Amino acid sequence: MRKRLRLFGDKIFVAASGLSVLLLTVALVLVLGPLLWRGAGAIVFRGTVEFRRMQYDLHGRGKRESLEAELAETAQARRKVYDLLDRFAAGIDTTKAQDQVRHTYRQFKTQLRNKVENGAITSEEASSLKYGGKRLRNWLLEVYETTNAQEANRNLDYILAQADDERLAGSAARRFFELAGAYRQIVATVDLARRQEYAGALDEVQKIIRELLGPRPNETTPDLAQFQYGATRWGRAQLLLDNLLWVERWVAQGPGKPLKKVRTRRAEQFAGTELAPLLPMVQQNLHRMLRPRRTFHWRYFIDDSTPGHFFGGVGPEILGTLLLTLLSMVFAIPLGVTAAGYLVECTSEGRFVRVIRTCINTLAGVPSIVFGLFGLAFFVLYLQPRLGLPRGSSILAGAMTLAVLVLPVLIRAAEEAIRAVPRSYKEASLALGAGKFRTFMTVTLPAAAPGILTGLILSMSRAAGETAPILFTAAVALGPIPRSLTQPTRTLSYGSYDIAVGDRLAAMVPHQQYGMVMTLIVLVLILNLTAIIIRRRLEAKLRGH
Amino acid sequence: MTSLDQTGISDVKPIIVENRQPTVADGQQDCCDQIITSENFCLHYGKKVGVRNITMDIYPCAVTAIIGPSGCGKSTFLRSINRMNDLIPGAQASGMLAVNGQDVYSKQINLVNLRQQVGMVFQRPNPFPKSVYDNISYGPRLQGIRKRSRLDDIVEKCLRDAALWQEVKDELKRSALALSGGQQQRLCIARALATGPKVLLMDEPCSALDPVATGRVEQLIRTLKSDYTIVIVTHNMQQAARVSDRTAFFCLGDLIEYGLTRDVFTNPVNRQTEDYITGRFG
Repeated sequence: MRKRLRLFGDKIFVAASGLSVLLLTVALVLVLGPLLWRGAGAIVFRGTVEFRRMQYDLHGRGKRESLEAELAETAQARRKVYDLLDRFAAGIDTTKAQDQVRHTYRQFKTQLRNKVENGAITSEEASSLKYGGKRLRNWLLEVYETTNAQEANRNLDYILAQADDERLAGSAARRFFELAGAYRQIVATVDLARRQEYAGALDEVQKIIRELLGPRPNETTPDLAQFQYGATRWGRAQLLLDNLLWVERWVAQGPGKPLKKVRTRRAEQFAGTELAPLLPMVQQNLHRMLRPRRTFHWRYFIDDSTPGHFFGGVGPEILGTLLLTLLSMVFAIPLGVTAAGYLVECTSEGRFVRVIRTCINTLAGVPSIVFGLFGLAFFVLYLQPRLGLPRGSSILAGAMTLAVLVLPVLIRAAEEAIRAVPRSYKEASLALGAGKFRTFMTVTLPAAAPGILTGLILSMSRAAGETAPILFTAAVALGPIPRSLTQPTRTLSYGSYDIAVGDRLAAMVPHQQYGMVMTLIVLVLILNLTAIIIRRRLEAKLRGH
Repeated sequence: MTSLDQTGISDVKPIIVENRQPTVADGQQDCCDQIITSENFCLHYGKKVGVRNITMDIYPCAVTAIIGPSGCGKSTFLRSINRMNDLIPGAQASGMLAVNGQDVYSKQINLVNLRQQVGMVFQRPNPFPKSVYDNISYGPRLQGIRKRSRLDDIVEKCLRDAALWQEVKDELKRSALALSGGQQQRLCIARALATGPKVLLMDEPCSALDPVATGRVEQLIRTLKSDYTIVIVTHNMQQAARVSDRTAFFCLGDLIEYGLTRDVFTNPVNRQTEDYITGRFG
């Protein structure tokens, strides 16, 4: 009975430990999988023609001829959309038309003055014509102002009744009739009473179309690169299309109740108007307007990015992260190994060593932001000016701060590794006449190297991913690639933090956010793999294979 | 060690049966003065007694075996000769212990020189995790020999002396840990020889080896004794009888009996020795 119980207990133990490992694996996959998947979207995605235009403009990549052909084709598809928008906008936003009317009237007056000077007409005739023109102008302006369709039609009738006036033939006043004719069509389709409402909705549509397709061909190019191009990625385009087709509104449900999000079709806003066909047209032609194509953008890893991380890659970020991590190891390893060697070899277990060890363990648990502030106070503000370096965050200060951060971990690992070196190695060396230091350097350290490397892997991963210690000491969100170690740098960890806290930046460039995180994970993985391979080699050598 | 006084063993004075110079009849070629002298040598670990009042001379170009039950201080005495006991905290020596006429525990002693003169082989084979070549050349490099050809010569000579050359000459660059246990131990002997010592201390060199490897190491010891003074600590009385010229019997930190191996094994003076040798000890 007892034996069976014991067997049962053994089985339970095996099952439980197996289950925990399984759970761990699942958790790892669940956490890392989506991250890496979405991060991979920064490199492999469907790039639109806007992406290729951007690549050509900013980096000179791609072929000019094929790009121009593509742009011409998309322009054709886009023109219909723009035409539709313009026509509708003319009815809603009449300020432009009003300007035109005023301009036309001024032209008309100038023409009359010239005619009088030439003697083609008398000044009496001219003043009567001028009066007629003024009347036309005022009518037309009234038409543009009014929200009453009847009144507008009446005035338009008045205006168009004058169209047959022969005295106006060939003069600038013809333009009045053209404008009136065009507006009559608009009045027929647009509910003038709802003009205010349309104006707001149209603004939104135009904004989305602008984000989707970029600035219009005849528009002046915006200064910032982020406004120069439409949706460069098909995923973003789909998101914008969704925004275009649906309106989200928070609706009050009554006092004391939470607001409710209501999604309605935007088409309802424009039902019956001339703009109604726009939305389905965009939906159907989006492919032709943007021409998405599968893109493998490996240059993401080496490209610099435009301000705000809108376009480009994470090259400087990778460089900065590598520099900081490796440099911090350069500082931390000698210090850590020496300290560990002292603790193991040079002192006996006494109160002093116990106090030191407690300090080290405490240090390992201190929040990293504390190290960041320490780095700011000590390295940046105190040490740098005294060493004749500029006062301000620098790679050097960041690396030293990270070194201090990882020291406890490194010392613990190195201590264990050095302690694990067989005493017989040391005895053999000492018996051959070697001194303590010599023995440590030539026998103990090589034998402890694999264990020290394990500590190195742990601390390297930590240093590469930390944000808080470099927040005030080394990192900047934007800036040039550093030319020396006394300059600050961009890093992957700080970059993703910056995008996350930036003003809705994460929503606009999600691929950058995930791309950076993925790059960081992959970078740490590569660094670790390298260290692991070196450790394997060392271990094999030590074991004698 | 309180039991020591109760049993009264501490009262037993060491009986030096044989203190004359060895004769040709003993199997010694050259008759020279003792190389290691010990007079009333004591070593304490704190309050614990390691060895006390050891007075014995060890003669050159001979094998001296130290036997005795566990904890009797034979290893302690051996490790006192090249001051390996310094590593143990609280170890304190008194009395006189001289190698080549030079007091080992004097302040002027150069530890590096001493340890290069007095080589040591340990209980378990402990080659460095380096190549065979680097293991042997470790000592000469410490002495400042950097020239490759010189090192090559030393490595070859030592490996030949340790009867290992034929087995490893083609794989000097291989890790020493890839060798078998017996080979490793012979490598350790070769490594000790490389510093050019006069004395070779062996602390139970065969206890971790199988009988075949033990046989080879013993063979090696017999060969080496023409050039080196060998002091060997062993638990194996047959081994002591087989390889040594003189035998010292230690018990509870005291030297009980010391003499020619033949005499000690066939005709022990002290009853304790006799009990120990015949297996009635305890």
